Amino acid sequence: MKRIYVIEDLCNGCRLCQTFCSSLKDGVFSEEARIKVIKIPGEERDIPIVDCNGRCLNPVFGDKTPTCVAVCPTGALIWEEQPQAIEKRLQWESARKTHSLFKIVAPWKWPFPWSQVDSDNENIEEKVGKR
Amino acid sequence: MSARENSVQKILRVDLSSRNTYTEVLPKEWTAKYLGSRGINARLLFNEVPAGTDPFGTDNILYLGTGPMDGLPTGNGRMSVACKGPRGSVAEGSFGGFFGPELRRAGFDYIAIRGKAEKPVYLFIHDGEAEIRDASHLWDLTTDKTDAALRRELADANVQLRYIGPAAENLVHSSVIMGNINNSGGRAGCGEVMGSKKLKAIAVRGTGRIRVADYPGFIEAYQMFRKRLDLATSRDPWTPVWSTYGAPVLARLFTDIGNLMTRNAQEMRWDEEKATRIGSEVYLDKYVTKGKACFGCPWPACQKLYQIPSGKYQGFKGGNYWAGQPVVFGSLIDNDDLDLILVLSGLCNQYGLDVFHVGYTIAWAMECYEKGILTREDTDGLELTFGCQDKDGLIDLVRKIAYKEGFGELLAKGCSEASKIIGHDSERFCLSVKGQELEGIAERNLYMVALGIAVSEVGPDHTRWYPPYPCNPNLMTKEELSSLGIDLDLRLAFQGRNPEEKGKLLRWFTISRAVIESLPGCVFLVRDTLGFDKRPWWQLFQSATGTALEYSEFLRAGERLMNLDRAFHVREGFGRKDDRVPIRMATEDVPFFNYPRITDDVFNHMLDEYYQENGWDLKTSIPSQEKLLELGLDDVAKSLKDISMESER
Ligand code: SF4
Ligand code: SF4
Repeated sequence: MKRIYVIEDLCNGCRLCQTFCSSLKDGVFSEEARIKVIKIPGEERDIPIVDCNGRCLNPVFGDKTPTCVAVCPTGALIWEEQPQAIEKRLQWESARKTHSLFKIVAPWKWPFPWSQVDSDNENIEEKVGKR
Repeated sequence: MSARENSVQKILRVDLSSRNTYTEVLPKEWTAKYLGSRGINARLLFNEVPAGTDPFGTDNILYLGTGPMDGLPTGNGRMSVACKGPRGSVAEGSFGGFFGPELRRAGFDYIAIRGKAEKPVYLFIHDGEAEIRDASHLWDLTTDKTDAALRRELADANVQLRYIGPAAENLVHSSVIMGNINNSGGRAGCGEVMGSKKLKAIAVRGTGRIRVADYPGFIEAYQMFRKRLDLATSRDPWTPVWSTYGAPVLARLFTDIGNLMTRNAQEMRWDEEKATRIGSEVYLDKYVTKGKACFGCPWPACQKLYQIPSGKYQGFKGGNYWAGQPVVFGSLIDNDDLDLILVLSGLCNQYGLDVFHVGYTIAWAMECYEKGILTREDTDGLELTFGCQDKDGLIDLVRKIAYKEGFGELLAKGCSEASKIIGHDSERFCLSVKGQELEGIAERNLYMVALGIAVSEVGPDHTRWYPPYPCNPNLMTKEELSSLGIDLDLRLAFQGRNPEEKGKLLRWFTISRAVIESLPGCVFLVRDTLGFDKRPWWQLFQSATGTALEYSEFLRAGERLMNLDRAFHVREGFGRKDDRVPIRMATEDVPFFNYPRITDDVFNHMLDEYYQENGWDLKTSIPSQEKLLELGLDDVAKSLKDISMESER
């Protein structure tokens, strides 16, 4: 079953996910949503906490992608079955070791070619250690 | 809490002298006429702060304005801050972050602060309530410490803050208001005015809800908007670059084409290796620890947090290395040490100093030193050379500027005032307009920039007509443009050193950016066709507020704002004589590239075209009675009717 997985380090704190989610029921924007981005006082972190099965009442982009995942600009949210989610996660782990751009955006969000895309996970163990 | 309707805009009035606060509802028709944020701030300022008001007196009012799109995912948390500035005209600037949405959820759209507190205070606003609280314990704290202290005190991780640092408390020229430690706004002196009121900070927390009038319409417009800005779908190669690497990529590109101010703009070309050492790629590789964004931004990380990884300044933390710092703390002072740039700009944020004031004024002082106008006796022994041999001395100089200490006291006045004191013709190389320092963008190679900097009522501020560099003119046909009311020959208009069409182009950019800043929204989000096609914002605005407006009327709100700014300006005695470029740009050619100086003929040609298109008097720049009446600004027309100004041509 597909679920929403989170890459915390990619979250920039924009709250697009939370804000759109809050509006799905009645067109009213607030902080109250099934996904909440929390902060820890004194620390520069943004942490999305999801309490949802990913099946929006009314996804804003009209397809089957959950709203929060569709609006997330960095790729911090993943909507996949577990094996694909693992693959994506490893793709990011590998990409960020290869190119510093992927500290701030997921490789599947970057539209230009970049060197050594590791989509087939070759050499992945070298880069991220043994699974 | 019940959901607030989005068409009603409310203002919280605060008088710090009498410690009174109360709430007012703004006239409903203002939403269609001025939209919100910067537009409504300008309207309030013109109405409530008459000519001749002392900028540091009790009658000056500091406005913080959100607007009907704030708190919605397209407002980007933008907010306008405005007052009468210390240099006599409008001071207005905008910042992003999260304060605006929080204020709206707390039930207010604007805050208007008049009077002066006897002792330092801060304002705490929470869900419809406002309290003036003692801030003696916060006074003199740097912005990072103020942020931490208030968060501890209010014990709520979601509270949003705006505060000033020691620079604004000490009324240092051009000090800014800060928030989120690294977001600044209001460089034309809004921080100074806040300091003069002894208002250290504003804290806000709101848990309210905002209802849009037409949700399906809003979502449809959002999809249109988003398509033009998403990395995958935007038809603009700058979208991915800008939204990740950011503007410091320009340093390296600009040195090749004569756009990089070097050694106080004595040259416009810097060593390419130096430019590479301080560029975005190095920054991202070695310094960036995390991407950041404002509320609801569709881009991954135009902001980033950094930490210096090694060396003498190891562990120094800050954020937001953007287009200005590589110039003002890089090429302008001939420094290719990125550690030093990040320490200097991080310290400016901590003291609440404006990086442009500090950078340009130090560069001016370095040129004085080079020419023997200033010596070590003047600089407290500091070897103030281009190339920055004495890094620690420079770092300490920033602190001295914030506290007006020793040599810092002179530089704290800004280069315009300082050059008047020092004399020796040093104002010839002070790079400022209307007493306000430049922002790092070349003028002699980009005539629209020269014109835009010259005419801005708040002093140099490229966000009023962003972007300074040509957008892709091929995305829309001439017919499409003209159906949107834009009759411009874009190819001609985008030719850097050709004065033709610059007035018209600047007029379009100024009006359309005024619209975005009044919704509010972020002016950086104008990639793809959004630079010229404002219909996505128009539909977002209509669906969010339920205000039906013709597209042309939507844009007219921007023209109204442009005229309100000019009206305030001329009412204070400013006019054509003040719309100029820095003396260096008008008297010196660009070496190596052979770009000529901006001659009087060229400049006057552009200025005439701009005034003419605007319906402003060619001799004085006073908006014509016809124009003001056409815009429905009858009261403004009346108050400008008897203004006389000597012919200035
Ligand atoms: S899937 Fe939809 S309902 Fe669930 S958290 Fe995401 S946006 Fe909210
Ligand atoms: S939309 Fe993405 S980046 Fe923005 S807060 Fe949510 S998870 Fe983080």
